[in-house]
Amino acid sequence: MTDALIRQRERTPDSHDYPTRRYDLVKEFTWALAMVTVLSLLLAAVFSSPDDKAITLSGWAKADPTDVVATAAGELAGTTTSATYGAPYNHASEGQSVLGMKLQKWGGVGIPVDSADLVLQPLRGVPGDPTLAMALQQWDTLTPTQQTADATAYADAVAKATGGQLGGISPSGRYGPVPVLAIRFLDLARAGGLEGSLTSSGSFYGGDQTRTMLLLADGAYLEDQAVADHLGGDQWGMMNEVGNYPGQPWMWLYTFWYQVKPFSTSENADTQVWALMMVLTVGLALVPWIPGVRDIPRWIPVHRLIWRDHYRRAGKA
Amino acid sequence: MTTTLRPEDRTWTAALKDRLSRALPPDQILPDRQPAYVTSWIYVFGVVTLAALVVVVASGCVLAAGGSIWWHTSSLGHFTNSVHLWSVEVFFFAMVVHLWGKFWMAAWRGHRGLTWLTGVVAFVASIGTAFTGYLSQANFDSQWISGEAKDGINSIGVGAWFNVLNGSQMLTWHIVLLPLAVGVIVVLHVLMVRRHGVVPPIGDEDREASR
Amino acid sequence: MGIALAAGKYLSWGVLSMSVTNACIIALMVLVFVLALLIPFPSGNDRHRTDPPPPPERPAP
Repeated sequence: MTDALIRQRERTPDSHDYPTRRYDLVKEFTWALAMVTVLSLLLAAVFSSPDDKAITLSGWAKADPTDVVATAAGELAGTTTSATYGAPYNHASEGQSVLGMKLQKWGGVGIPVDSADLVLQPLRGVPGDPTLAMALQQWDTLTPTQQTADATAYADAVAKATGGQLGGISPSGRYGPVPVLAIRFLDLARAGGLEGSLTSSGSFYGGDQTRTMLLLADGAYLEDQAVADHLGGDQWGMMNEVGNYPGQPWMWLYTFWYQVKPFSTSENADTQVWALMMVLTVGLALVPWIPGVRDIPRWIPVHRLIWRDHYRRAGKA
Repeated sequence: MTTTLRPEDRTWTAALKDRLSRALPPDQILPDRQPAYVTSWIYVFGVVTLAALVVVVASGCVLAAGGSIWWHTSSLGHFTNSVHLWSVEVFFFAMVVHLWGKFWMAAWRGHRGLTWLTGVVAFVASIGTAFTGYLSQANFDSQWISGEAKDGINSIGVGAWFNVLNGSQMLTWHIVLLPLAVGVIVVLHVLMVRRHGVVPPIGDEDREASR
Repeated sequence: MGIALAAGKYLSWGVLSMSVTNACIIALMVLVFVLALLIPFPSGNDRHRTDPPPPPERPAP
């Protein structure tokens, strides 16, 4: 940085030492407010806003019953995304890290969730079903190894079932109580008995959808709908909205990194992208103090357009 | 008027009053004149951003009056939601054009670095506010966005404390905590602009103030 | 039911993909920015222009 630049920077004149013009601050704000209000009302009237209904568990069960059964089996087998997630839900994985910092694990298991319980807890609340009661009893007597083996075997069979025909799966003997549990779970979902059941957990007022969302996100149906709407992570989804509605254009840089290597194939993509965006954001905030970057406006003189009246007048003086 | 009491007798109130009056003399808070070099349409985007924020908050208040699920069942509620969405789009539109303008003016010159910094913080806080807004819609968008966002937030270890799957928590962050934070930052930002005045043109450093 | 409505229209080019709506918004932002720089600002207030007070007398070095 040259001495001339240093001198320039230290000698920005006081704005109060300039000739002034009459100016009505309050009137300008009032005009701006009126215009933005009219503009917002117009845009709202012409374009409206989206409101795609939430996927209910009953709706999921009716639209993709095989997915519900597969998810239930996976929860019991401990193979779903939530079951193998790690912090904050369980200790099943070390989680993501960046630059050797295991940030996810350091957060701790602050929201403990037993994925098998996402299936078992609602089922245990079902009265007057002796077959289900027996299956639950049988499940409870199995060792964890047996539970995993039965559930994994059934989940594999569901995955292989042609055309999602669950009836074509071999007799339940090889899978222990799992088929009964999974099919009863599907029936419960279809009948609407699952709505709120994982939210309330004994309390009248819901409000926290953590466990319900983990169950739904463990299935494939939610993501299938999102990808169909161009909202997937590798579709620049963070920027998008359903249909043709405006999305979040300001998220362009955050979602960009997920589209390119190394992030697009990294297991630690989330922590890495977050760390990168933190650095860039701090960089943006500190532009006034970053040599080179802070001089770009001098090198590329867009300002000559902005202050052309002033420069013209000063040139005449 | 500065008090002339001994330091040990000065009240906290008087000390604060003096400090504020020195930082922001009354005729600088609401001036009715501006430097003659402020002659470009690029200058309107700050006030347009501010006006858009007012419309965002106002439409948000109407939504709050109806309750968090009102807009799903009422056509007036849905229209209010649309006003809220579009005023947010106008808000970000104007804010980014404002940012572009301020960058090309190197508006941080003359001890205005903190003005720039508070502007960036306001930008980031606004993104966070918008994000919790999307989570509060209680529809398919909220389901998908929360499901995806949880992975990002869990990956940095704060997911147990800031739980995006907890709609009731995200709603209260969206309508109370974050608007307050944005409000405070914006007020500070605007007061700083008033205190330092509009940044003089690049190139005026080499000479006395123009006449 | 939560069956997805048809996705909106998207523009794709290699790894880049953007909705038509978002692309329009961004294009409009650039256009508005350029217009703001180019469109003359009314200077009818010049008749109200006043010069600043003269700087205080500096003592001779």
